[in-house]
Amino acid sequence: MSNKKYWTSLGELYETPQYKEQAAKEFNSVEETEADDNGTSRRDFLKVMGFSVSAAAIASACKIPTHKAIPYTIDLRKQVPEVMPGVADYFASTFTDGSDFVNVLVKTREGRPIKLEPNTESPFGGATAHSEASVLSLYDTNRLAVPTNKNKKSTWKSVDAEIISKLNTIAASGGKIALVTGTVTSVITKKAIEKFVAKYPTTNVVAYDAVSYYAVRKANQISLGSSVIPMIHYDKADVIVGFNADFIGTGVAALSNSKKYVANRVPSKENPKMSRHHQFQSNVTITGANADYRYPITPSEEKQALINLFAEIGGSISGVKPLSGKDANDGIKKVGKELLAAKGKSVVVSDSNDLEIQLLVNAINGTLGNYGTVIDTANAYNFKSGNDEALATLATDLKAGSYKAVIFLNSNPVYNTIYSDVFKDAIKKAELSISTADRTDETAQFCQYVCPDSNYLESWDIISPFANFYGFVQPAIVPLFETRQAAASLLNWSGDTTDIAQVVQAEVASITGTNYQAAVQTGFFGQPAAPSASSPNVSAAIAAIKPVAGATKGMEVVFYEKSGVGDGSFANNPFLQEMPDPLTKVTWDNYVCVPYSFAKEKGIDAQPAEKNVPIAKVTINGKSVELPVVVQFGQALNTLAIAVGYGREKSGPAGDAVGKNMYPFLTSNNGVTSYSTSGATFELTGKSYQLGLNQTYHTLMEDNALPLRSKRYRGSIVKETTLTDYTKNEKSGNEDREHIKEHFSHSLYDAYKPHDYKQGHHWGMVVDLNACIGCGACVVACSIENNVPVVGRRQVYRSQEMHWLRIDRYYNGNPDNPDVAFQPMMCQHCNNAPCENVCPVNATNHSSEGLNQMAYNRCIGTRYCANNCPYKVRRFNWLDYQAADSFGKVNDGKMAFIDNEAQSYMFEDLTRMVLNPDVVTRSRGVIEKCSFCVQRIQEGKLSAKKAGRPLQDGEVKTACQTACSTNAIIFGDQNNKESVVAKTFETSGRNYFVLEEQHFLPAVGYQVKVRNKDEQPARYFIYKPDEA
Amino acid sequence: MHSCNPIRKILSLIALVLLLTVTSNSVYAGFAVPDVAAGDAAGIQNVGEGKALFKANCAACHAIDKKVVGPALGGIWDKWENEAKLTDWIHNPSKFLESGDPYAQVLKSNDIESPMTPFPQLTTDQINDILVYLKNPNAGEAAAPAAATATTAGASDEGSSNWYLWALIIFLLTLAGLLWSVTSKLDKVVREKEGEVVEDVPLSKKIFNKNTLLVLLLIGSILLVVNIFGGAIDLGRSQGYAPDQPIRFSHALHVGQNQIECQYCHVGVEKSRHASIPGTQICMNCHKYVQEGPKYGKDEIAKIYEYSGWDPDKSKFVREPKNIEWVKIHNLPDHVYFNHSQHVKVGGIKCQTCHGKVEEYEVMKQFAPLSMGWCINCHRQTEVKFAENKYYSVFQKYQDELKKGTKSKITVEDIGGTDCQKCHY
Repeated sequence: MSNKKYWTSLGELYETPQYKEQAAKEFNSVEETEADDNGTSRRDFLKVMGFSVSAAAIASACKIPTHKAIPYTIDLRKQVPEVMPGVADYFASTFTDGSDFVNVLVKTREGRPIKLEPNTESPFGGATAHSEASVLSLYDTNRLAVPTNKNKKSTWKSVDAEIISKLNTIAASGGKIALVTGTVTSVITKKAIEKFVAKYPTTNVVAYDAVSYYAVRKANQISLGSSVIPMIHYDKADVIVGFNADFIGTGVAALSNSKKYVANRVPSKENPKMSRHHQFQSNVTITGANADYRYPITPSEEKQALINLFAEIGGSISGVKPLSGKDANDGIKKVGKELLAAKGKSVVVSDSNDLEIQLLVNAINGTLGNYGTVIDTANAYNFKSGNDEALATLATDLKAGSYKAVIFLNSNPVYNTIYSDVFKDAIKKAELSISTADRTDETAQFCQYVCPDSNYLESWDIISPFANFYGFVQPAIVPLFETRQAAASLLNWSGDTTDIAQVVQAEVASITGTNYQAAVQTGFFGQPAAPSASSPNVSAAIAAIKPVAGATKGMEVVFYEKSGVGDGSFANNPFLQEMPDPLTKVTWDNYVCVPYSFAKEKGIDAQPAEKNVPIAKVTINGKSVELPVVVQFGQALNTLAIAVGYGREKSGPAGDAVGKNMYPFLTSNNGVTSYSTSGATFELTGKSYQLGLNQTYHTLMEDNALPLRSKRYRGSIVKETTLTDYTKNEKSGNEDREHIKEHFSHSLYDAYKPHDYKQGHHWGMVVDLNACIGCGACVVACSIENNVPVVGRRQVYRSQEMHWLRIDRYYNGNPDNPDVAFQPMMCQHCNNAPCENVCPVNATNHSSEGLNQMAYNRCIGTRYCANNCPYKVRRFNWLDYQAADSFGKVNDGKMAFIDNEAQSYMFEDLTRMVLNPDVVTRSRGVIEKCSFCVQRIQEGKLSAKKAGRPLQDGEVKTACQTACSTNAIIFGDQNNKESVVAKTFETSGRNYFVLEEQHFLPAVGYQVKVRNKDEQPARYFIYKPDEA
Repeated sequence: MHSCNPIRKILSLIALVLLLTVTSNSVYAGFAVPDVAAGDAAGIQNVGEGKALFKANCAACHAIDKKVVGPALGGIWDKWENEAKLTDWIHNPSKFLESGDPYAQVLKSNDIESPMTPFPQLTTDQINDILVYLKNPNAGEAAAPAAATATTAGASDEGSSNWYLWALIIFLLTLAGLLWSVTSKLDKVVREKEGEVVEDVPLSKKIFNKNTLLVLLLIGSILLVVNIFGGAIDLGRSQGYAPDQPIRFSHALHVGQNQIECQYCHVGVEKSRHASIPGTQICMNCHKYVQEGPKYGKDEIAKIYEYSGWDPDKSKFVREPKNIEWVKIHNLPDHVYFNHSQHVKVGGIKCQTCHGKVEEYEVMKQFAPLSMGWCINCHRQTEVKFAENKYYSVFQKYQDELKKGTKSKITVEDIGGTDCQKCHY
């Protein structure tokens, strides 16, 4: 028997009967249905049917519904760019969320931004889940349409006049003004702030970040002499050691980091090399999941671990003490050796907002000589420029009542700081309080004036992510509402009423002297500097380190950011709420993650149904919160992990009352915000909660061996090997393919018609498991491109989510510290597609180009296909999510996020503007699934035909492919021998197909995951012919 | 008081101007322009050349019988002193004005929006041809109306042939009935002669017995089912749909008579999935100048001005344009993706193939059934432009077969044109 064992959840790990029953079914039993509630009987149904059929006939006989055709009319008095209805226009722009930025192309149709595409000309082009989802935020119905005064609608003219007069009065009397901002990477906003301060000199500008990296800046101030966050070139590092760092997940410049990280993580036959990644971690993040070796440590042990590591690499430091876990102790020794062997080609990173930890990291990197090669201060980031200490001082001063005016520049401290009450009181007491939030958020609700900022897709701006590099922001649509850019508001109040577009134009000229048109066209300008850095002062850093105090009491808690809603500013974006967390696969909630052994101890692991999770009461420093419990394999013992960014109260119908707000539970360590704490207690309440959890269903089971096979052959879903073995044998981990080709070369069901793809196109896809980091940007991109509806927590709980593309996450090994594998799973477009031959109406069948096509209008909803799909990628429209059946009565549907049920969010005219007009919205009662973005295939072919030339490889890219910045997904034509797909299928030793032994002949090839481990773990599957 | 009363002065000036305007015909005696008789071949040729010149040079601003931008040109031979002066005016109007010619001054004082463009390239002969055309605009076109009448007569034949058909059917039925009664009577006579007692069943009973009723019922139900199915299939289809539109726009006039290319207004047809309905900005390219139509006069064009925000008196756009809410005629269901550029640019399909003879439509209508069967049929029959377009080199097998001659043509269906996801996604 195979000794490989992969699992996705507790139930699968234990193979509980409930799990087996659930997984064997395609459709989870729904606990209650509306029909049952209403007591609709079969007779009623027939009566209704009879009526509706005759009514339809009568109605249709009487008149044809009239539709209007409105031409695209141009006001000839204005200079309007020419728009061709039906053809997309692209505008180069830049997205930033304060910790990351992306150079993007905004795709607009008939003037509406509908999708972001990566700006491939920029080294920083790409996509993140946040950037992809941000288009929907433009059409957020909860945005303020006009400025408000005391929560009543007002006009810019009157608001401006009042604000200016009040500011002048306050400034004249020497009253202090607090300008509270988040990280400002905008050059224009910085200028505006300067002007504002010049005009009102009593202004104190305080920047803070909800999730702060202040300690990094402060440590660098001590050891390097400047408070920078350096750029780290992960592609130049052979050994990467992370200490609670999530540099490819939610950290600073994660997109650029992940590109560089993956660049050195995909071995090939020609270049069988990859970096080694060690991760010391309390909770499991994407970064940890991608590491070759992980060592669980509690948050309080991090400093001790770093002291030990520093000693291990030859540094002189006192207070070396062994860690509690044997793995971690051995790990420090191993890592120390490897780091010494890779001097100047390694990096140690930590995201912990703790000064001593950051100083230790600097000391280690300095000793190893990593500055100037891997660590680059010449290109220091402008992200996360918040100052925790300044915020703490401000809070003290506000409490003392020394500020007469408070202005919140797109910041929300009432929600996301520990000084929530201080700010609340201060706003109420202040003579003047202004917020530039785009909605009446937690802070803005108390402010007298809310001067709504425009969305970035409606704005002119220049973003500077790091020195000498600039991202250009240009409007892709005129402001939908009477909003004004925050920078323009500040300039206005400073007495400068210049049009913001002209300010930006002048600024571009003054920065580079380059052609303004070039900036508009390319969307970025400037060049990263050559990497350089001076060596840090190691002894100064070490001098500041105090020995670790005695052991902590109680459980330790880690507060982390999820890659979906982030720090909470994206809470009202349903796409991000419904994007499953890469590790826990939970949507729409935060929860308390507990380590596996702890769960076992508490008896939580034996829950009957995994979606009905227990609710625990967690008490932290005297405050307690009730949260659902999720078991997280690989989490450090004695540690709990809870995400911040939830529990919004004033974000909008999608984000409000989702999860609990954990910001008030953070602590301050000498004015520096700490994202971990100790002394927590955990007790079960006896209540349970229905969690919107994916991947305990719609999952591939490796035990799906067909009983008809003479010998059980455990299939191939995830294949793995080690770099050592891969270097010896290119087909390592993939040896069974020969056996499969030999013994499983036919299908069990011989009625499949053979397909001839000898000419024309035969579409295919390559998914590289080494390049996929599990970030989820592709999932969001797919949903936006293909009008995939968001369904809400309750529907996800009922296993009725609609994602065409999911990222399966598999664990294997020791449940307390397993290896993790991510596997993007979408329709495999099998040649022998089991879904096709069970459809009674031939609604799904094969195209001449190898696509498994789905004709929605033909589908009658038997769902046989979904039942028969071995990859579980077909989705059924249980409800009319997108008003497709509503016959134009779109406005009758009201926004209904009752219990996070996003059922009718697409009933709003405004929200519907985001829909892709080239893809139909599916109505209730039909199946849908991944189409390989057929609309893009058709578009690509058409432009080739129009130009009268053959279609080039790479011309057609699926939405998931464009969103994948690490090139884990590559789409192409198998018939084009020059295409990446054809070449990979033909020559790569790592290529395999999922469940290949069943002979479905899928069109998606996966590349064996290679881990840079020294030896093959005993648990790995090793192919032995006699067992098969 | 020796000084003139200023009001009197102004009034008398106005009177003078009015007199001049009214009697402008009589400023000069005018000059003669020849008439062209029906048989005058040389004259007709002159008219033809004049017409072409008029269309190329003058028609943007002038019409024969009405004021457009410039004044109506019919009868100008009566207004000018001689042809030489007219020629000078045409060659360089502003220079001619300086000569102080009284009629030129009249023209200047008239409310003309813009000064006339100089046409120094027109020779005296050409101007003469134009004048001949202006005097005889219809010369040489006498035969055309007769031909038109003939076509109309041909079209009305269809109705009469139907009537004959019905008469024939009734005649045949009557004949059948007569023959049947004759034979049955003869049969009766023969059988009676042979000694059989034949019961005299009335004709009505013979027809309306149980069996025939059953047969009728069967036929009736088949017809009903066929009808219901046909009706159900046709649900939502609207071939021939020609709704009233907010503006009575005539394709017959624009495309048929004025020969405007389809793409001039439907700009997207080769570039986009939508052929696109022109906005008022495209209408106004011509209708800034063409202010009156042949059928509805100024009424319909005034609507365009209203929508586009154009003030014809001030000759400029004064308001933001409003949307014309045309009634959509071609309503494809949401689940069908159709791309005009694929068919027109790549496939080279004529607009008329799907839209009918639009150049003859006074009111736009849906010509094709727009049913799936109609689409599929065309995809089955239409040949792909395989040789011309290098994109199709990807179909190597077909290319070889075409070369060898084993295949004579490649249809859209051959290259996957009937796949579901060519139109449904």
